[in-house]
Amino acid sequence: MHTSDWINDIITSANTHISRPAMVIEEKTYTYGQLLGQAWDICTTLCTQQADVIGIVAENCMETYASILAVLFSGKTYVILHPDYPAERNRLIARQADIRLLLYSKKRDVLPPDVEMDSFCTNSRLYTAQPRVARPRVASDVPAYIIFTSGSTGEPKGVPISRDNLNAFYTAYRKLGWNLDETDRMLQMFELTFDVSVVSFLYPLAVGACIYTVPQSGMKYLNVLDIMERHQLTFAAIAPSVLRLSRPYFPEVNLPHLRYLVVTAEATDVSLLADFRPCIPQAEVVNLYGPTETTIYCTSYPMPLQGCKQHSGMAAIGKPFVGMESLIAGEDGQPLPAGQTGELWISGPQVMKGYWKSPEKTAESFMATPNGKLFYRTGDLCCMDADGDLIYCGRKDAQVKIQGFRVELGEIEHQAKAFYRHTCNAVVLPILDKEGNCELHLAVEGDGANGTHELESYLQERLPSYMLPKHIHFFASFPLNANNKTDRKTIKQNIENHANN
Amino acid sequence: MQTTELLENLSQIFRKVLKREDITLTESTTARDVDGWDSLTNMLLISEVEKAFGVRFTFRDIVKLKDVGDLCRAIITKRQP
Repeated sequence: MHTSDWINDIITSANTHISRPAMVIEEKTYTYGQLLGQAWDICTTLCTQQADVIGIVAENCMETYASILAVLFSGKTYVILHPDYPAERNRLIARQADIRLLLYSKKRDVLPPDVEMDSFCTNSRLYTAQPRVARPRVASDVPAYIIFTSGSTGEPKGVPISRDNLNAFYTAYRKLGWNLDETDRMLQMFELTFDVSVVSFLYPLAVGACIYTVPQSGMKYLNVLDIMERHQLTFAAIAPSVLRLSRPYFPEVNLPHLRYLVVTAEATDVSLLADFRPCIPQAEVVNLYGPTETTIYCTSYPMPLQGCKQHSGMAAIGKPFVGMESLIAGEDGQPLPAGQTGELWISGPQVMKGYWKSPEKTAESFMATPNGKLFYRTGDLCCMDADGDLIYCGRKDAQVKIQGFRVELGEIEHQAKAFYRHTCNAVVLPILDKEGNCELHLAVEGDGANGTHELESYLQERLPSYMLPKHIHFFASFPLNANNKTDRKTIKQNIENHANN
Repeated sequence: MQTTELLENLSQIFRKVLKREDITLTESTTARDVDGWDSLTNMLLISEVEKAFGVRFTFRDIVKLKDVGDLCRAIITKRQP
C-alpha cells in the first residue's frame, strides 16, 4: 500500500494556500503564510539545538501550533506540558521524556522553580513567508510526539508515536472518504495533551481548510457549540460529553452547515446522538475509536439515522482502518468466534513500537499470535457481529474515562495512599451520578482524623483536576471478599446506598 | 432585588452545589476563581439558579456570561416583567 507523507502534504498545501486562512484563534485569523512562516522560524532555531525531545507549553495561541509544526519539520520529538496540570506532574513527565528545551509563548512556569531547563519564547518572531531552511532529513522511526497517559504505578506512561505511525494513520484516515477542501471550516476542541488534537490540527492543514480552536478556559463545552454555530463550521470532531452537557439547549442549536460530525474519545451514547440529529440536518455522523497506542483512531463506524448498532446504549465502533487488523481474544488469548465478547486486540502499522523506556509495560501490553503478528491489547471489551462490525462493550479493567480522559484508578489510589504514607488502604470507584456522568469517589480505610482538607490539597498538587475524586468517604475497615481482597463491589454499594438515603 | 442580596443568594447556591463552604462571590468572580466551577458543574449551577429565581437562560445567554456580575445583571433583566 502506498503511504502518504502527512508533513509533505501540509507543506505543499500551505504553499498553494499561502494567503488563505489557516487558523482562527480567539476571533483572530492567521494565514497559512503566517503559521508556516512562524513554524519555519522556530524550526530554524530548533535545528541549531542539541535537544532531541522538545517540551511545548499548551496554550491556545498560534505560536503553540507553529511550535508543533516546527518540531515535526525538524525531525525531533515533542511532548506537551499543560499549564493547568500540577507542576510536579509536569516535572515527572519532563524527567521521563528527557526534555531538554521548552518552547512557550506566555506561560514559562509550568515546571517547579527548581527544575533547570533551557527555554525559548516563541513570541516576537518575525514572520517569513518562505521557508529559510531546507527541511532536515527526518528518520521515520523517531517519535513525532510522546503522549503521557495515566499509569497505575503513579508514574505517567509515555506513548511514543513515530512518523511511520503518523503516516500510516494519515493514509488510512484519508481513505475514509472525506470530501474536504480549502473552503471547509473545521473544529479543534481537544486539549493538546490528547491525541485527537493532532488530527484536528494537522488534517485541515493538509487539505487547505481553516481550523477553529476553542478557548480551554470558561464554559468550554458551550463555547464549542457557540463557535460551531457562529462560524458555520462544516466539520467537527467532538467528545460526546460536549453533547451530554448541552442537551437542555438542543432546541436552540442550529448547525445547518455541518457536513461531518465525528464523535470520539469516549463511548458514544446512541440516544444522545439521536436527540442531537435535528440540530445537524446535513451531517454524516461517524464514531471513531482508537487507543493512543494505535495512533489516534483505528476503527470507524458511520452511524446511520435509523438502526444504529449498539450495546447497552453505546454505539458500535465498526471496522478497522485500512491496513489495520483486529481480533477478539478470550481469557486464554485465543481468538473468539463472531458474537462472543472478549478483549479487542489491534495490529498494524499504526501501532506504536512500545512504551517509552518501559519494556515491562510494553511486554504486558503486547501479544504475538502464532503467525508472528504483534497485537496491542486494548483492554476494551468488544464482540464482532455477522457483518464484521465491532460492538463496543466497555472497559476490561479499572481504567475509566472521565470527560474523555483516560484515568487509571490505581494512580489516584496510589497518591491517596502516599498521603497516609501507605499506612492505610484506599480505593477509587467510578460511580454514575443522576445525570449519568461518571464521578470518582475515594474511599479511605480510617477515621479521617487527618481531615479531608489536607488530603484534598495533597491530591490537587499531584493530579490534574479531572482525576480528583469528587467525594471522599471514610470506612472504619474495608469489607473483604472470599479471596480476602478488598471488596470494591460492596464498598461501591455502601456509597450508592448512602447517596440514596 | 439588590446586587448584594443577589450575590449572597448566589453564594449559597454555589456552596450547596459545589459542596464547599468557603465560597463568597463578588461581581468580578469568574469560573477560574472558584474550585470546582467547570463546564460540568456549571450546568447544575445554572439549573439551580433558574429554579431559585424563576428565570430561564438560553444557550446564547449562558455563553455570554463572563463573570458573576454578568450573571447578576442577566437575572435582574430576566426578572423584570
